[in-house]
Amino acid sequence: MKMLLAIPVLLGGLPLAAHHAFGGEFDANRPVLLRGKVVKTEWVNPHAWIHVEVTKTDGTKEVWMVEGGSPNSLLRRGLTKASLPEGTEIVVDGYQARDHTVLRANGRNVTFADGRKLFLGSSGPGEPPKDAVPTDQAKPPAR
Amino acid sequence: MRNPFIVFVLAAITVAAQAPKPYTPPRMPDGHPDLQGTYDLATLTPLERPAGASAVLSKEEAAKLERAAAVAREEGDKSIKGDRPAPPKGGDGSRGAAGNVGGYNTGWLDPGSTYTVVDGQKRSSIVIDPPNGRVPAAKPEARRRALSLIARPTSDAQESNDPGLEPPGSYDDPERRPLGERCLLGFGSTSGPPALPDYFYNNLHQIVQTRDAVMILTEMVHDVRVVRMNARHLPKTIRKWMGDSVGRWEGDTLVVDTTNFTDKTRFHGSTENLHVVERFTRVDPKTLLYRFTIDDPDTWEKPWSGEYAWPATDSHIYEYACHEANYALSDILHGARVREEEAKK
Repeated sequence: MKMLLAIPVLLGGLPLAAHHAFGGEFDANRPVLLRGKVVKTEWVNPHAWIHVEVTKTDGTKEVWMVEGGSPNSLLRRGLTKASLPEGTEIVVDGYQARDHTVLRANGRNVTFADGRKLFLGSSGPGEPPKDAVPTDQAKPPAR
Repeated sequence: MRNPFIVFVLAAITVAAQAPKPYTPPRMPDGHPDLQGTYDLATLTPLERPAGASAVLSKEEAAKLERAAAVAREEGDKSIKGDRPAPPKGGDGSRGAAGNVGGYNTGWLDPGSTYTVVDGQKRSSIVIDPPNGRVPAAKPEARRRALSLIARPTSDAQESNDPGLEPPGSYDDPERRPLGERCLLGFGSTSGPPALPDYFYNNLHQIVQTRDAVMILTEMVHDVRVVRMNARHLPKTIRKWMGDSVGRWEGDTLVVDTTNFTDKTRFHGSTENLHVVERFTRVDPKTLLYRFTIDDPDTWEKPWSGEYAWPATDSHIYEYACHEANYALSDILHGARVREEEAKK
């Protein structure tokens, strides 16, 4: 019995240290659903950004930027920006930036069109990508 | 085998053969242990012990908790509806850092999957002293100091309603934002000292060692600390973001003594008089034991300590370049200006 009680307590007590205040950046009163094609990915820190082109109901198009996590942990699992090629159909649900003049949102859920999540988690490293140069392996160029 | 003496001797030999040999670490040319390598600090063990937990988790308890964490992860990875609607207006109810708007797919995360093991025991907290596994309460003057740092006069009151739960004035200029958000130091004290695990991702640290200096690279936000061996601390007038670290060997343990912090770091509410002593010991071919003691008479009645294992990893550290695309900081500050304008209407 003691253990049954201890589990939620321990898990509930896990500290969360995020890079920034999500609530300060995104507006809880501006939910968005974005459906469209990937046109660009910024595989950068502190957050990766996925650019997605959305067709509005009037037929015009606009490009939204969607915030993700740090790409480094994905690189260790072999996922690069090439893993999400241009033209990939994705669906994003999240909240728009508090500054409504910019088309940016958090990627609360980013899935393929059929609902499969992007970048499934892993409990350990996979095969690093061939073209990624780890800092601890970087060598000066050959003369 | 009737002779009791022979039985005794054979038993003694058997025991000797089974007793683990004391670990002898590989050594550098100067004779000191070689601590070099890349270490993954990710762990499920929190800094402070949750209420009701014992200091040491039984094998069964740990296995159950580790399985629960794995299941939570699998749940996060599950497919959802492709034709789903937008999340609810007014927020999705997510708490803490996710600030009522949620974070991002669990796929981005790389937290620990196991509890840290020290002396063969699964530990429920990093803090070991005080024995309750909790960071001691700050002195009254330290609590007053913390409040005065937060409650600065501000021209707007709107921010007190912020789901990010930040007090008024927190968004008035970039220098009031947390150091991690500004890409200055790893958030959650990942760069340290003391170096603590992050429960999101990027927990890799690399140690490079020479006779005269030990370098500790933290992947998150790309901080490097250089420990000057057998050196004296810098004059008190010279202050550094991660403090001034000097090292010495006590037997096979590297002891790193850090003072001369700035008043900006404020680890758990400390002042610039924070004094951190870290101890690095290679306990087996794949593990460093990391221990630290925190002292700041302006903040706590007495020093407190923690310890956890740094397992070696074959994974690679990647460049972080945190300023490269820190759109988040400008979004956060600009968002606050938008809210101020809205409040005037």
